[in-house]
Amino acid sequence: MSLNTDFMVKVAQTAIQGVPVTLQIVLVALLISLPIGVLFALIRIYRIKGLELIVKFYVSLVRGTPIIAQILIVYSAFPSLLNMMIGKAAFSINPIYYAYIVFTLNSIATLTEVFRSALQTVDKGQMEAGLMVGMQPRQAFWRIILPQALISALPNIANATLYLIKNSSLAFIMSVKDITAIAKTEAAFNYNFLEAYLVVWVYYLIICYGAEIIFNLLERYFSKYRRSAKRTTGFNWNPFSIKQPKLVVKTDLAESERTNNAHN
Amino acid sequence: MLTIEGLKKGYEGNEILKGISIDVNKGDVISIIGPSGSGKTTLLRTITTLEAADGGHITFAGVDKDFEKLNGKDINTIRRNVGFVFQNYNLFNNKTALQNITEGLIVARKVKKSEAEKIALDALERVGLSDRKNHYPSQLSGGQQQRVGIARAIALNPEVIFFDEPTSALDPELVGEVLKVMQDLANSGTTMVVVTHQMSFARDVSNRVIFMADGHIVEQGDPKKIFENPSEERTKKFLTDILANV
Ligand SMILES: Nc1ncnc2c1ncn2[C@@H]1O[C@H](COP(=O)(O)OP(=O)(O)O)[C@@H](O)[C@H]1O
Ligand SMILES: [Mg+2]
Repeated sequence: MSLNTDFMVKVAQTAIQGVPVTLQIVLVALLISLPIGVLFALIRIYRIKGLELIVKFYVSLVRGTPIIAQILIVYSAFPSLLNMMIGKAAFSINPIYYAYIVFTLNSIATLTEVFRSALQTVDKGQMEAGLMVGMQPRQAFWRIILPQALISALPNIANATLYLIKNSSLAFIMSVKDITAIAKTEAAFNYNFLEAYLVVWVYYLIICYGAEIIFNLLERYFSKYRRSAKRTTGFNWNPFSIKQPKLVVKTDLAESERTNNAHN
Repeated sequence: MLTIEGLKKGYEGNEILKGISIDVNKGDVISIIGPSGSGKTTLLRTITTLEAADGGHITFAGVDKDFEKLNGKDINTIRRNVGFVFQNYNLFNNKTALQNITEGLIVARKVKKSEAEKIALDALERVGLSDRKNHYPSQLSGGQQQRVGIARAIALNPEVIFFDEPTSALDPELVGEVLKVMQDLANSGTTMVVVTHQMSFARDVSNRVIFMADGHIVEQGDPKKIFENPSEERTKKFLTDILANV
């Protein structure tokens, strides 16, 4: 089996037009769901009556169903819903808006859980210290609690973002012209599926890798106040320097130590 | 200056503070001692409104009310006139030593940033840590963190500073540096209420010792009197036990 490389280059050239679409879906979903996720997390933590139940229900609804089902439901429900409200114009709406809706709704659920656990990692003494220097609870929250929670949430936000990037490839179901959709169309014309999908694979890999780098830089920058984060959990994200720690095995010493211990 | 009468507080039906009355005068250095679980922390937390009291009266900083009737404004007034030094420091982890001190000044007191930094540097100087101003809490030893905690409290120039076992979380070799700072504060006339297990501090630095047990004040008075000739059997027993262990 040989790969049709000319075709791959061609697909790469056309599919690149889908990159901004994919990025747009990811960014819109992230930017909307981040603040709402914080808000929902607070509703759960402070057990706001009524709302707490709604948030809980919403989160389990989203987390308990496959994203493909969510996509299908939104994609079949919204257009006819809109049709009732604004008439025929509903069907000429750019389907990317449906993608925004699905992936935002989905991320909100994930991020609510992320922020809920992150906010709970911040010691309640931080709030009390704020109150004792005269801050209002609100001020202590914004200046002391939230920044710390955001930083401890970063690895999980990164994780959620990677899932979002990958899940966004399902947008083709809603006939959004993202990377996957374009490559699929190209492939269908020429029956070179493997080549097309390899290109898709590489594009997602690059995007995810880029996101990972950004999050690692953010983590590094914002964790400067955490001594341990700098020293021990410093993940080496650069694959071009895959260095194994040199293991100096002093067999003879180890041997003599063993015998020493045996004597004791 | 600060008067508490009949302060009561319970958790889930357990009465922890069973009617505590305390008078704090300007310049007082009061040590509160007593077995663990006797309600010392709860006492400081209810006075400073970190915890809501169930009953009692407070007269302080223009507020003269029953605890249950305190409104948001009274609570703000009380909080703005007290300082609190926590057992586990509770420095803002995301702020440097200097920022830990300027936060309250800038955010709550509306002091200009440059002015706040000047005050904060002075405070750090007083606890001997001006060279650590840009360090984050995680980069400081326990003793240094607690000294920043003290600097944070004094920078706000409160009427009274409450200390809840400020040296209990420290390694033994770091206790001295914190006690030294507290002693300097006491000598400079700062009004302090200190819950402590450091009997040397209670005896040598404070001008009054309160012995608490089971949510009551069992006995209070001049340190010399309490340590050398306590009137209550419980006090005597507590002191014998704790001094036997040093
Ligand atoms: N938030 C709380 N909820 C329930 N019980 C509490 C709480 N805080 C303190 N207590 C109880 O109150 C009693 C007094 O505690 P505390 O004031 O911390 O004593 P001390 O500081 O003298 O050791 C203890 O029995 C403790 O278990
Ligand atoms: Mg205590």
